[in-house]
Formats: sequence, C-alpha cells, structure tokens
Amino acid sequence: MNIRNRQLIPSFQRPPSRVLIRKMADYEHELETLMYESLREFSLPVLGKTVLLKPNLVGLDPLGIMNTHPAVIAATRASFLRLGAERVLVGDGPAMDRDTHAILESVHLDEFIGKLGREFCDLNLDEVEKVVLETRASKLKELFLPKTVLGVDFLVSMPKLKTHHWAGVTLSLKNMFGIVPGSCYGWPKNVLHWAGIDRSILDINAAARPDFAIVDGILGMEGNGPIQGTPKAARVLILGNDPVAVDATACRVMGLRPEKVPYLARAGTMLGHVNPTKIQQLGESVASVRMPFAVLREFQQLVA
Amino acid sequence: MEAGHCANAWLAVLKEIQNSDGGWGYHEDTQSRVEPTCWALSALCSDRDFGPDSPVLDKARRYLLANQRSDGSWTASPEMTTGNWVTSLACAVLAHEAEAQGAISTGLAWLCQDYPFDSSPWMRFLHNFRRDSHISSHNDSYRGWGWTPRTSSWVEPTAFALLAMQEFKSSQLPPVASRRRELAVRLLYDRMCPGGGWNCGNPRVYGVPGGALVLPTSWALIALRSSSEHKSKALSLAWLEAEIPKINSPGSLAVASMCLAAYGKKLPATKLNLHACSLENLLEDGTHVLAWVCLALNPSRTWPARIGG
Repeated sequence: MNIRNRQLIPSFQRPPSRVLIRKMADYEHELETLMYESLREFSLPVLGKTVLLKPNLVGLDPLGIMNTHPAVIAATRASFLRLGAERVLVGDGPAMDRDTHAILESVHLDEFIGKLGREFCDLNLDEVEKVVLETRASKLKELFLPKTVLGVDFLVSMPKLKTHHWAGVTLSLKNMFGIVPGSCYGWPKNVLHWAGIDRSILDINAAARPDFAIVDGILGMEGNGPIQGTPKAARVLILGNDPVAVDATACRVMGLRPEKVPYLARAGTMLGHVNPTKIQQLGESVASVRMPFAVLREFQQLVA
Repeated sequence: MEAGHCANAWLAVLKEIQNSDGGWGYHEDTQSRVEPTCWALSALCSDRDFGPDSPVLDKARRYLLANQRSDGSWTASPEMTTGNWVTSLACAVLAHEAEAQGAISTGLAWLCQDYPFDSSPWMRFLHNFRRDSHISSHNDSYRGWGWTPRTSSWVEPTAFALLAMQEFKSSQLPPVASRRRELAVRLLYDRMCPGGGWNCGNPRVYGVPGGALVLPTSWALIALRSSSEHKSKALSLAWLEAEIPKINSPGSLAVASMCLAAYGKKLPATKLNLHACSLENLLEDGTHVLAWVCLALNPSRTWPARIGG
C-alpha cells in the first residue's frame, strides 16, 4: 500500500514502538554492516518494494556538519537493497537553496553512493498531487505534495540529530518539511511558517507518515541549528519503526524532554509514541549514550 | 565544443522536449509547469536564429495564456488554485507579445496588489509586542514580494517581480508600481548579508550573520542593474566574483554568468565550464537549468531586456 492510501491510526490504538540505538564512532568504519544488521532487527516489509530515503539536505555543507552524512545515506540504501527492496530512491527538497545539484556536490554524495541519476528525486521539482489535510492541526487545508513521495511503498525519514532555532529540535518529523515542494511554495517554504511550524509538522506527517526513521547522530548539531549551530559528536544512530518514538528517544539522548517540544507532545497523541513505556528500547540504553546538547535561551524549558 | 554550438544544440533539445500542450515540465516527459515554460521560452526567444513566428514559441505562449487565472495570476502547478511567484516570470516573458497585452495588464495588477502580510501595518504594530522580535533584524517598513501571496518578502521573488516590471514602460504599469519598486529595492538592500550577497532573505538570525548564496545574489544583482549606484551593489558583486571560481553546479554558474554580463564584467576562471557540461546532467537538473545555460552561453540574449543592455 503506498503512502497516499494509508489510514491515520491514533496513538492509543498503536502497538508499542521499537527504537534501536547504536553507538557509531565515525562515518568510516563498518557503517554498512551495522546499518544492515540494525535494519534486519525490524523485519521490514520491503521485499520487492520501492523505498524512498528522505535525508536532511538543508544546504551547502562542505564540512559535513548540517546535512545527513552521505555515508549514512549510502549505507542505508545498500542495506535496503540487500533486504530485497526493488528500488531505493533518495529524495529531498532543500528549503533554503534551490540549487540541489550544488548541495549534492558539496557533500560529495556521488563519491559515497555512485551516480544516482533518476534514482535521486529533487522533491522541489517533482510533479505534485493535492492532498487534503484531514488532521487540520494547522490553518492549511491542503498541500500539494510530490507524487514520488505519495507513490512509494516505504518512506524513510533520515534526519541529522540537531537542535533548531524555531522548533526546538529538528529530527525525523521536522525533516518531512523537505517533502513540501519549493516550486509550489518557495525557498524557504514560508507558507508552513505562517501556518505554524509545529502544527504544519503534524499535518505533513499525518499526510505522508514515514514508515521508518534513522537519525544520523554520529555528528549532530547543537545551539543555533539547523544551519548555524555548533557540531556535536554524539556518536549514535537512532532507528525505529515509529518516527515519533525515534524523535522522542533522540531528544532524551540530547538531554531534552520530548514532551516539552510542542509538536512532539501533540504527535504523541496522534502519530506515535512519546511515552517511554510505549517504546521498546533496543541496543544501547538512552542513559549510556546521553550527551546533553546546548539549546538557545528560548528553548531552555526543553532541558531535562 | 564552442559555446555557441553548445547553445544551439541545447536549444534544439529544448525544442524537442516541449510538451504537446506547448509547455515544458521540470523534466522531460513530465507535466508542463509555468516556471520551466517561462525559462525555456526565454532561452528560445533569445536565439537570433529563431523566428518570432515559430510554432514552438507560439504554442508556448498559448500554453501560458491558457493557464493564466481569472485574477491575473499564474500558478506554479496546474492543480493549484492560488497564483504565486511564477506570475512575475510569466509577465516578463510575455512582455513583448502584442497578443498578450490584456493578460499582462491583469498579471501586473495582481502583482502590484500582492502585498506580503508580514509588513502590513497591523503586523508591524504586533511586531512591537512579540517576544521573538529580536530573532531577525529586518526593516519591516520595506516590502517586496513573497513566494506565495500574503506571506513574507523574500529576495528571489522580489527580484523576479522587479525584473518583470523592468520589461515595461512606466505608462504600462499600474500607478502603484513605482512605489512598490522603490520599496522592493530598499528591501533588497536591507536584506543583504553583512559580507555582501544575498541568501533567501535572512541576513541575520539571532544576530548571527547568514551566508550568501549564488542564485539569490545573482538574481538580486540583475534586478538592481538599473537602480542607482549603491555601495551594497559593489560589495555584492565583489562577493559573487570571488564565489564564481568555486561554483560546482551549472545552474548557479549560468545565472552568475548572466549577472556578470549584465554588469559588463568578465567571467573569472571557473572550475566548471558550461559548454563542457553533459546534456544528461543538465536535463537531470531540470529544464530551467538547461534554459539558463542556453541563455548564459548566448551573447545575443534578449531576456531580461536590460541584460547586457
């Protein structure tokens, strides 16, 4: 069943979610093996399916500090192919700079993954389809979303572990802003800001809910993220079958309280689980990898 | 291959990938959209060997005219029901079409009535009481254009609206156009990054200077080409000249090249050569990028009217 045909199930009707934390010192060693082994633990229904990886490609990033690292994208793509996926597309619609080619060049994606050609989709330029927003969390009644996103069988949100100067944190739910096409809404996608960032995050994720989330926390960003923050090596990957639970866990790893992040608190009632008793923790414990991230003064209430 | 030959070959490709409805999609065999159609039409119109009566151009113009909304605007995608930033591009590219004068008048009227909401008197009043008013340092009395109606001013849509208006004599523009242009030019200078150049329109966030980007900088400079001299223009042009050797994508290099040409400046040595780009890569980047490259390689280009002019 592709993304456009999914029904929204409220959180209280959902089974417990599974989130896996893996320690990973850097981007160079055994990443593909570790990713494959990690994904295998979830028995994902991807055999013969089309998978879309949605990394966070926010801007030119020659130092590799603000975007999902290409090594993580490459390892994930290879792992999904090994798990039997027929196609594994990579797609994003960068929000601040429309020159997606320049962004990809700046992170040397080709060197890690080979030439993707049409297996990469610039979601800013994709054909679009009207989606009525049934959750009505924001003032938006509808959005025009990329057909590629709506048509895949399995959607993976792949953010970087970062704090955010407007939303508090930017993880797998906020990462989905990148599916909103710039050709329709601009660079940045300002209509989402006017509709309320927190509420728009809920509407977008309800309309195109990722099936899985993989947070690149090997090198994260603290402070004035998502672009101008300070690199922070948390040395973890956080994966799971519920993007809300993954984000809540990522917050806890950053020393932040997910229930105090407004959009996560509401997502915990409609899109997934924030409550730790509803999250089956696999791999490392949160306590063993916790690394407090600095936040701007405006978000001190998030600090645990 | 020489630049001229490349441009001719790629213009032929542009012709080939025109959709049967007369428009172009962002990629080959995709649904026609206003933006790529405008850029493809601009590139083809700028070609000396291409007669104005060409059926390709005629079909493209008809596509644009058929897709104008009754309020005068154009939408980014046919499914959308609200006009937006592409209206500027459509007005600009149709500016010199005798058949399109009625459409253009309503398009320009729509543009001039489209005020960003963030700089409305009410929002400026409220701004005084907002706890987050320190996040950015914009002067909200200046008003440009947004990507979408009734939102906020941003650099590129403001530049596109200015470029569109430059295609017309004052007598062809709505009476309020002169004031809007004045405010928009001020807005662009206000939004310039501290070291020169522009990004999307956030020169500082939480007091931290934002980095400039090639495309917004180039479009802003092209739009400011005819405005009076200003130290910010010189600073931004210097930023762009320093950045050009590092550009690694055809789209940015093409627009930056057009910008330097507009200021009569020579392109410095670059690591990327436009005429050495592969057609396959250009088509992957999009029809608009292919069209920009054709425009950049065409010394006789005629759009925007004042470029090189």
